[in-house]
Amino acid sequence: MTERVINLKSFFEEARAGRLTGIRCGGCGELAIPPKEFCASCQKRDWQPVPLAGAGTIVSFTVIRVAPRGRGDEVPYAVAVVKLEEGLSLLGRVVDIPFETLKAGLPVRFRPVQIDSQTVIAFGPA
Amino acid sequence: MRRVAVIGVGVTKFGKHDRTSAELFAAAAADAITDAGIAPSAIQALYFGNVTGGETERQLHMGPLAATLLGLPTVPTTRFENACATSHVAFRHAVMEIASGVSDVVLVGGAERVLNVPTESATEFFAYCSDASLEQPAGLTFPGVFALIARAHMDKYGTTEEQMAHVAVKNHRHGVLNPKAQFQKEISLETVLKSAYVADPLKLFDCCPFTDGGAALVLASEEVARRYRRPIWVLGTHAATDTMFVHEKRDLSRVTATERAALGAYRQAGRTPTDVDVAELHDCFTIAEIVATEGLGFFEPGTGGLAAEKGWTSLGGKLPVNPSGGLKAKGHPIGATGAAQIAEIVTQLRGESDRRQVDGARTGLTHTLGGNTATVVVSLFGRD
Repeated sequence: MTERVINLKSFFEEARAGRLTGIRCGGCGELAIPPKEFCASCQKRDWQPVPLAGAGTIVSFTVIRVAPRGRGDEVPYAVAVVKLEEGLSLLGRVVDIPFETLKAGLPVRFRPVQIDSQTVIAFGPA
Repeated sequence: MRRVAVIGVGVTKFGKHDRTSAELFAAAAADAITDAGIAPSAIQALYFGNVTGGETERQLHMGPLAATLLGLPTVPTTRFENACATSHVAFRHAVMEIASGVSDVVLVGGAERVLNVPTESATEFFAYCSDASLEQPAGLTFPGVFALIARAHMDKYGTTEEQMAHVAVKNHRHGVLNPKAQFQKEISLETVLKSAYVADPLKLFDCCPFTDGGAALVLASEEVARRYRRPIWVLGTHAATDTMFVHEKRDLSRVTATERAALGAYRQAGRTPTDVDVAELHDCFTIAEIVATEGLGFFEPGTGGLAAEKGWTSLGGKLPVNPSGGLKAKGHPIGATGAAQIAEIVTQLRGESDRRQVDGARTGLTHTLGGNTATVVVSLFGRD
């Protein structure tokens, strides 16, 4: 029953369609992204997919100005760790928010972006 | 388990080389064997570390190649890769091979060569040490990872960019005293603070450089080590892992793998943080040194920045940290770094560190961190 959620491909297919999906442990209720086999908290292997609302707040962020090869035309760009309202966190690109307004606690909302035909987790204004 | 000693150390000059990684390691290894005063034929195994050879040199299977170039083509070899902690991980396994009684003499270390490729390529290859599904596509770089940590530390404790800059100034000051350091030049606080942002709040001078270099150690069982000059004992060595995903770290202002590795190493050694006279720890970025001095128990959480600002971690301070110049000034050939840190501590405990000698050092610590703070090894060393 967990086959569908326990792979990255389906996670990104869902994300590409705008649906952020986590998994919830049937043993202890732990939420996680990305899918994994055993729960790191209770060691159970009993996950259910859960839709996540995509709303959260910035925990920490940075503006990257020196990029890896092939990404030079994207700089500067911001990356943040976002704590989702369901309680788990997720890292992603920050889009459409002026750098100078970024701060811990700022509300943001999940939205996928496509970069070089790859789905990238991103967050825009709430 | 048997006691294990480091009986020989060898480190190449750090900086830009026109030699391959395998050549660099072989040169360091020959120096280590000569330093030990042991016959090359006494080496029973090679534990070799390298990270990016497949990308920068199109060279894998580098263990046998390094052994061949060293002139020991029949020694069994194993290649290790744990991002920047690579050769410290290799060291721990080499210690276990001797402690368990399998071998009496093991050669361990590593090498890296990245200055033969453009900076943007090296940045890309190093980023392979972060997760390829979520983190690399988002454009996360290693300066980016530590920038996220720095901002969390600043928000939680009030750590400042100026305090981080003090780490860079101090390590460059130490690097001047190390003839093998990549940078042997002092820098001012102003130079650091005025340098360009790489990943806010980290600036160019908060970051260690890309470096070519090799480092090697000869380890021996107690019985063998007693026959050689001034063995430096491995008192404890412990490895810890944390989630690969930055978003799963429970507190970005801490590196919990450092805390767990340190706990294990102190326990094994029967020592506490106050016993440490000198430490070589992983300052890939200035904030990394601050967080490490807290995680290793040298300073209370949130006071690592103050320690740097007050000069407590400088040569002549309460606890000299990175007398070699650290990754920041000595350089950071990622496959060689852990072994090079151990070589520095061994040299310090032998009392052979010349102008950067910590007087009377009896107990030393090394700390190496790999990747997204996912791999950490901490080791403790002592002399007779």
